[in-house]
Amino acid sequence: MIELQNITKKIDDKYLYHDLSLMVPAGGRLLIKGESGSGKTTLLRMLLGFDFPDEGKVMIDGKKLGLENVWLLRRQMAYVSQEMQIGRGKAESFIREVLAFKNNRYLSYDRSKVLTLMDDFHLAKSTLDKRLEDLSGGELQRLAIIVTLLLERKIYLLDEITSALDQHLKELIVHYFCSLDDKTLVISSHDAIWHDQNFPTLNLGKNGSSS
Amino acid sequence: MEAAPDISVLRLMAAFGLLLVPVALSVFLKMGIVRQLFVSAGRMTGQLFLVSIVLVYLFRWDNPWLNITWVIVMIFFACFSAMINSKLSFRHFFGPVFLSYFLGAGLLLVFFNRVIVNYENIFTARLMVVVGGMLLGNSLNSTIIGISHFYESIKKDNKRYLYLLSLGANQSEALLPFFRDAFLAALKPFMANMATMGLVSLPGMMTGQILGGANPETAIKYQIAIVLAIFTAVTISVALAVYFTARRAFNAWGIIREDLFRKR
Repeated sequence: MIELQNITKKIDDKYLYHDLSLMVPAGGRLLIKGESGSGKTTLLRMLLGFDFPDEGKVMIDGKKLGLENVWLLRRQMAYVSQEMQIGRGKAESFIREVLAFKNNRYLSYDRSKVLTLMDDFHLAKSTLDKRLEDLSGGELQRLAIIVTLLLERKIYLLDEITSALDQHLKELIVHYFCSLDDKTLVISSHDAIWHDQNFPTLNLGKNGSSS
Repeated sequence: MEAAPDISVLRLMAAFGLLLVPVALSVFLKMGIVRQLFVSAGRMTGQLFLVSIVLVYLFRWDNPWLNITWVIVMIFFACFSAMINSKLSFRHFFGPVFLSYFLGAGLLLVFFNRVIVNYENIFTARLMVVVGGMLLGNSLNSTIIGISHFYESIKKDNKRYLYLLSLGANQSEALLPFFRDAFLAALKPFMANMATMGLVSLPGMMTGQILGGANPETAIKYQIAIVLAIFTAVTISVALAVYFTARRAFNAWGIIREDLFRKR
């Protein structure tokens, strides 16, 4: 569960959010709309403790996000952003490296599971042997998503992940995430395809925000 | 072999006469570097002249403590000039860079003099000051390239860094790929240079020794040893500098501080 309580944040004397409150229950969905610069990314980053409100509280699962729990709470969340350079070297080595992080040691590398997910996202098997720097934007985006899915997080923060993809891939990704009933999704997007899902929507506008 | 003949002041003026070519070209193409060129050439001449006076006395007295002090002064100036050419903030980086460089280059200098050359007095001016200068002059830039690359790429590829944190990486796990890249940035040009050494360029130390009357075979052995020592000094200094600075460069949330770079 995600809760924002009376969040206010100013950038250069202009309100990005003014007294913004919202709640997304476990397994719920939230779509954030707004022009670029309206604070969509900042909102997602605030949930992860990468950015901070001037006033107000961010609550994850009923706990106020703070220094004492941020590293733990981040591990409940998966964050994927558009056009991200995720690393260098072979794709498969990258996945192995992520699963070998101390915090992820309870998971083991299961190649068949990776291949199933790659199949779900229409990525060729050979992608695993390619170098990350040689992958196209669309391939990289899907791989970044697959890595987060392997970690089995509860909350997915998806920042414009479909913007740079073609229609066919947009549909694929939207349908995949919509089918994850037990996951909490917070999506920021311009894309009409997300708007068609009739998720609860937060409109970030020029004068503060409304929902 | 005989030492090279001295150059008279008059003939040295002929070397300055060479500057007429770049100056004429600069004026003709309106490059606007004439002033800077004269300042740089003037500084070089003045500094080298002063250093020659210092060297005369360092060699005459040949006092170990004095030699060590001179090396530390050289490190200080080397750090200063290398940092001016980078964007890193002096307040955060000067101390750690100086320290890691002192340890990295200092260790290699002692190793070179003690183990490789195996001279009984390793603090003698000939080894300490001359080899020290060579080691320092050639390794500090690569070191600074490594450190700047580390912090600049974290700033530039911030999404990648935050993505790694969100994937469960702890601070050092998230920094590791950037550390790897920084090492490559510092060492790769050096390795390319090593691979062509002798074919494309005659390294300065070798040239100096041969002009000074040394046997080319001896000069080559010194050259090989010093290049390897420089390479290792860069590796150690980059690693230490990142180690010394990383703790303070991020806040408790794991976010890189804003004031690590100088504003231009």
